[in-house]
Amino acid sequence: MTAWIDGRAATREDAVAAAASLLAGARSPVFAGLCAEAASVQAAFDLARTIGASLDPAAGSALYADLGALASGGAMTTTPAEARGRADVVLALGAAPWASDILTELATDGPVRGRASGRPRAVLALGGPGAGSVQHVAYPAGEAGLAAAIGLLRGLVAGRVAGPHPLADLATRLRDALYGVILYDPAETGALGAEMLNGLVKDLNETTRCFALPLGDLHQGRAVAQIAAWSTGQGPRVGFGRGTPEHDPWRFDAGRQAAAGEADAALWLAALPTPLPAWTRTVPTVALLGAPKGDEAQVVIGVGVPGEAFGAALWHPRRAAIAWHAVDGPQPVPGPAAAILADLQARLASPAEKPFPAKNPTTNPERSASC
Amino acid sequence: MSILTLREAPPERLDLDGLTPAALAGLSEAEAARLPVGTSRRGLTLGDCFAISLDGSDELRIVGATERLDRVGAGLSAGRIVVEGDVGQRLGAGMTGGTLTVSGSAGPFAGTAAKGGTIRIAGNAGESAGGALHGAEAGLDGATLMIGGTAGERLGDRMRAGLIVVKAAGAHVGSRMIAGTIVAEAIGDHPGYGMRRGTLVAARHGALLPTFVETGRQDLVVLKLLATSIQALVPEAAALLRAPMRRYGGDLATLGKGELFTPVG
Repeated sequence: MTAWIDGRAATREDAVAAAASLLAGARSPVFAGLCAEAASVQAAFDLARTIGASLDPAAGSALYADLGALASGGAMTTTPAEARGRADVVLALGAAPWASDILTELATDGPVRGRASGRPRAVLALGGPGAGSVQHVAYPAGEAGLAAAIGLLRGLVAGRVAGPHPLADLATRLRDALYGVILYDPAETGALGAEMLNGLVKDLNETTRCFALPLGDLHQGRAVAQIAAWSTGQGPRVGFGRGTPEHDPWRFDAGRQAAAGEADAALWLAALPTPLPAWTRTVPTVALLGAPKGDEAQVVIGVGVPGEAFGAALWHPRRAAIAWHAVDGPQPVPGPAAAILADLQARLASPAEKPFPAKNPTTNPERSASC
Repeated sequence: MSILTLREAPPERLDLDGLTPAALAGLSEAEAARLPVGTSRRGLTLGDCFAISLDGSDELRIVGATERLDRVGAGLSAGRIVVEGDVGQRLGAGMTGGTLTVSGSAGPFAGTAAKGGTIRIAGNAGESAGGALHGAEAGLDGATLMIGGTAGERLGDRMRAGLIVVKAAGAHVGSRMIAGTIVAEAIGDHPGYGMRRGTLVAARHGALLPTFVETGRQDLVVLKLLATSIQALVPEAAALLRAPMRRYGGDLATLGKGELFTPVG
């Protein structure tokens, strides 16, 4: 069974028709989750443009901690593959890197390319959990927290904070590194911490090489950011309510819109595993799910899992890029979410399904209705 | 006085950008009623949502306002806008002159990029009041922003010029500040994170960053001059500025030319 309406099993045809009518009547529809392969996310952007929806990926908050810092001051970043080939010093910030494969892999070998080739690789930790099998030098973040410690480290590196200090040795190691890499999770540092970190990296590049390496999120957020950029020229939290894409990270936060009662319909796209927000059961929602149970939303349609059921373009964490994930012998059903979204697009774009008859169709076809 | 009266709670966020006394002065009520204010594909107009009464004067009153009204007073250059009720995000964004008063509370980013004029919020303000939008060059940029209640986090974030006076504010007041002045009765933890220049004055404050250092007790003429200049606007804040002050310099993570003053003792 792959489709449900109000928790009851339905044919896919009926479910898609129900989804179309749910979205067709909406004033401010929200497309959220967006945890799927590039083609389906692209189809969601196309459908949003057709029906005037806004979009917000599941990775929204963490992603915007990094995008905000990038938009404000730029960033000098590298990829996990480059870090593994070139870095002689890796600084892990906070707790998140210790739960990531990237740090474990970086700890297993040393640089083989570039200036630091042949040197050992030192793993340093600032505010880490101090556990695990990876050998490293640990520095405490202090009671002021990680973001404050990043600022303090930046002050020490630049020589604006002087004198004996527990982090002075860490600052010296970063300055002496030939190719330093700072591994962090923007969700943990926060937007201010991420921007300070980018400043620290830029300061270090006055005299040596150092790069920021953000941990990717688990929900295709980085891929969505790229798809949003090529589709709209802007970040992923965009809305098409006024026809053209408007970027507004505050206004188009899906959780905020649901809580404020602004969203009157939603489409939750999670072909890959994604924590389901509580609002999918309160806001009239169409859920396209790779692992559906049937009661997640008003209309639930099962879709194929990209990279398992069929070959797909997904985020590749090691390359830090969208890459093709091939599958041998794809299974025909259920198909990709993109097919459902294209079906919805065809239904909602056709004149017969136009949701709002204009008040004065002869004089003002685009503008009608009232409060 | 021109009056816009909201008929009922709007079913979507409305964008009042550019609805200033000057912009309305040249319009008939019928013309004004056709101005687009909706943010969904339904294309709501001013007349759909508000009862409109225009007299061409330089004062505009918005009655029955709610937190769904965004960019109220944005782009104001002269005259006066009086709001009865609450407003949404970006109150007075980019205004260059005139006065804007709100009897209730404001959403986030009040006064963002405002270069001149005065904004008074009687109630509270959301996050980043006087702060910069995503990727924007600056937050408050020369205007005066007064908040009678409590402001959220990151008050004056990346502000470049102007004055903010507030009763209380959350964490990270004056984060990434480029220049300008913030005067508060109480502020939260870690004020001035990443501030380059600028002045914070607070009667009470939360935890200070390790990159702020005390530079001793100061008796600066400039604070007395500031007290005189804001005496008429906010006498309580002026009294605070006349007290003997302890000075902290920071944020040494960045340029370090900012400062936090707090009363001695």
